[in-house]
Amino acid sequence: MGMFFGARFRQGMKAAVPIWIAFVPSSLAWGIAAQGHGLTLQEVLLMSALVYSGPAQFAVLVPLADGQSALQVLVAGFLMNLRFLPMSMTLAPFFHGVKRLPLTLASHVVSASSFIVPYLQFEKERESHDGAAQAIDGGGNLAFFVGVGATSFLVWLVGTGAGYGVALGFPPGFEEALKFILPGYFAGLLVVEMRSRTMALVCLASLIAAVPGALLSPGWGWLICATLAALLGWGWETRR
Amino acid sequence: MSRAEIIVIMGLMAFALRALPQLFFVGRKFPPAWDRLLRYLSYAFICSIVSITLFMTGARFDAGAAPYRGLALAVTIAVARKTKSPVTGMIIGALLVLVAFRLR
Repeated sequence: MGMFFGARFRQGMKAAVPIWIAFVPSSLAWGIAAQGHGLTLQEVLLMSALVYSGPAQFAVLVPLADGQSALQVLVAGFLMNLRFLPMSMTLAPFFHGVKRLPLTLASHVVSASSFIVPYLQFEKERESHDGAAQAIDGGGNLAFFVGVGATSFLVWLVGTGAGYGVALGFPPGFEEALKFILPGYFAGLLVVEMRSRTMALVCLASLIAAVPGALLSPGWGWLICATLAALLGWGWETRR
Repeated sequence: MSRAEIIVIMGLMAFALRALPQLFFVGRKFPPAWDRLLRYLSYAFICSIVSITLFMTGARFDAGAAPYRGLALAVTIAVARKTKSPVTGMIIGALLVLVAFRLR
């Protein structure tokens, strides 16, 4: 069991390498920005460790640093982090049989990146095992998830601290290429795993609608557009 | 309320959003239609995140960078699909972005 856990953990770590690479510039950027806005190193590390959400951390940086009302900061952070709810809910069925304590502790490392990579892996394994006929290995799945999530979390934390102390001067263009790594990897994963035409249309619609949605409402627009695209695709597929 | 206290409360709220579904839905098998809906939602969210990460900076559309990032995304998708390797697609896309940025 222990060895199996270790093997699945290492498998998760390997799958997380692109996330680590992508987290380096964004965590450094967060550390640098937070220092620029006058947060202490302890506050910066505390936030990265407890909140662990790039978009939310960036979103509340200015109101937090400017001393605006606590309620405003908390509501902004809550809204930005609401996306963790469906992500965590989607992963939950794959952890069948796992005890509540390890599950609760592990859930702290749910992020957009550490949701996408394990989710697509579990889906692939479920399909290759002929779906419901095969019992879900919750413990193994949790090990894989922790391999992705905990190591990415550590990279985020260390990067934040490093960014606070060192303003790295990347050569021009290098940062731009680093910024492409994560979305490029996710797009590649999706296209390799994609099966149905309806799913392809849902993905295309979400990809196109996200930017206008975000321009109309920065926090919610893209989320609403994605939900609508998924509901339309689901309705179409269910009717057929 | 001090900044550290606000950060701790924010962290607890984020943790609740992450942990509660795990406590209430773990191992639960959803009906096939719900299962399919969750899958569609997940894929749609992922695509939206890809789009936002690539084409937006904060609340602003990155008009200058959008053409070559879009081209790199299309090449990444084509290469990943052809080679069945997301990493190969990602590397070629990132190199393309690097070259396009320098030529700009």
